[in-house]
Amino acid sequence: MRIHTRIVLVVLALLCVSGLLFAGAGKESGEAAEGKITIAYTGYPGGLTAFWAQMAQYMKEEAEAMGVELLDMSPTTADAAVQKDSVDNAINRGVDGIIIGAVDNRAFGESLDRAAEKGIPVVAVDTAIDHPHISALAQTDNLASARVLGQYIVDTTETGTVIILGGTLGHQTGDARRDGVKQVLEANGYKVVFRACNWDVPTALETATNELAANPGTVAVFGCWDPGALAGLAAVKQRGLMDKVKVYGFDGLPDALMSIKDGELTATIKQDNKEMARVTIRSLVSQINGQESVKKLLIDGFVIDKSNIDQHM
Amino acid sequence: MEATRGTRSRVMQSIQPLLGLVIIYLIFVVLSSTFRTFDTAKTILTQAVILGTLAAGPTIVLISGGLDLSIGSLFCLVAVCTGRMLIAGIPVGLVVLISLVVGAACGAFNGAIIVGTGIPAFIGTLGMMKTFRGLAEILGMNQDMSRFPESFQMIGKGYLIPISIMAVTFLLVYIFLSRTKIGFNCYAIGGSNEVSRLAGVPVKKYYIIYYTIGGLVAAISAIIIVARLNFTNSAFGVGMELNAIAATIIGGTSLSGGVGGIGRTVIGVLIITTLNAGLSHLGVSSSWQQISIGVVIILAVWLDVIQRRREAKA
Repeated sequence: MRIHTRIVLVVLALLCVSGLLFAGAGKESGEAAEGKITIAYTGYPGGLTAFWAQMAQYMKEEAEAMGVELLDMSPTTADAAVQKDSVDNAINRGVDGIIIGAVDNRAFGESLDRAAEKGIPVVAVDTAIDHPHISALAQTDNLASARVLGQYIVDTTETGTVIILGGTLGHQTGDARRDGVKQVLEANGYKVVFRACNWDVPTALETATNELAANPGTVAVFGCWDPGALAGLAAVKQRGLMDKVKVYGFDGLPDALMSIKDGELTATIKQDNKEMARVTIRSLVSQINGQESVKKLLIDGFVIDKSNIDQHM
Repeated sequence: MEATRGTRSRVMQSIQPLLGLVIIYLIFVVLSSTFRTFDTAKTILTQAVILGTLAAGPTIVLISGGLDLSIGSLFCLVAVCTGRMLIAGIPVGLVVLISLVVGAACGAFNGAIIVGTGIPAFIGTLGMMKTFRGLAEILGMNQDMSRFPESFQMIGKGYLIPISIMAVTFLLVYIFLSRTKIGFNCYAIGGSNEVSRLAGVPVKKYYIIYYTIGGLVAAISAIIIVARLNFTNSAFGVGMELNAIAATIIGGTSLSGGVGGIGRTVIGVLIITTLNAGLSHLGVSSSWQQISIGVVIILAVWLDVIQRRREAKA
């Protein structure tokens, strides 16, 4: 093949790739329509947990209802550095506002400083981010809801060891859920074994399997997020302990609800992510329009168990 | 005549990735008004720092005909070590020094395992990938490693310091590959391990050095990301080894060894970061960004295959 033919081939191939990509992206590929508010949303990857897939969908629906353009810039992996990059790209793109559902709440300091410099309002959803430029937060009251679940465990389980399968240590949401349940259990004479599982299902399965073997007096497993709880449930089943160990979750995702219906998972805390998305978008749009807005909304989670499962399926 | 054609072919082989980068950049400049700003250019360079520094290691290893699948986990292990030392209150300078030593030692261990046992690099580094990840999990278990001293955060803050560290790393690797005997032999070993050995090159010793440098630059990259994010945990670096190898290959370094260079890796890294940033500016989702990088990897290797067939015929 002659050299100039190859150059032409490379150019054509790259153009084709670009063309395909832009075509494949469909409506997403266009820049914001003149005068229309554009909001960037970057959440925890929806492909990893249904809670966040639902969140992205609810965000889209609310943005459409409000007549604003929503760019979903969520990463495909739970990588805080990639999510930070997506915030930087949104800032450079000159969006009117940014919503962050943080992979890790500690990663954004410098990016938020830049957003502040450029006057781009940033709001957080689900996970609080400790930075003065975060102008609003909508989340489940994780600590209070976890205390409710802790009391529920006390009411439904005999005293013994409870294994908590946690998120990433230092992550605001996961820590609050751990603390809420732990405080109530310890006050009632339970022994708590906490293990951080980095919001990772295989890690939760492995940890639960090992801890169940190491703690024969285990009476309950609490997963700080439903997929982790279901991993704990799988470990309990594997060890043939279904009649001795109860499993509890947090999120209220469809798989967990189905498991409660089937009599396997004992209970979960329902988080209202539709309300979170609604409040977040409305608050951000109000700020962009220079109006007063909700600064902090803590939504109470509630227990779903066998007694009320039919109302929520 | 044949020599001239060969030289011209090699020059074109080097130019192709650069041409690709320029075209990709221009496409985004045309399609997105927000892309053509100085801020965006600075952001692309900053986003290239972690991957770029990390990819300098696989560049050397791949040229020598080796492969290192463990650098993502090694990167994580160094990040966790750095975090543990910082929360223990060890002075920042010492933390950086120890982290670099840990990275280099892990790299040397990789090399020693491969040359010592004779197992393929793919298997040896796959095993070490699991080992380093496990060690990182043990060290990071139940530890909140965040909120580090301001003097440490400075390493990853802003544009100037991280980009300068990346540039110096590239320069040193360039000098190593082009101006030192060990570096120059990297190409000979990658071209033919056996011929190099018969020519008196201490292949085994050099392999250990190449993997050691790979570990060292992975440690530099890990230190920067911990400083930039101001936290760390044992989930860092998952899949980073493949991203680094992808950047190296896209730049034109051959998987078969003997061909490549740090300049090409710089271009490969910039192609990936420009694609990600540009597609974000156009509102294209992250999933499509992954697909685009996949297509570019296939294109790059396809061109390498064409080139090799052509050289074989000649």
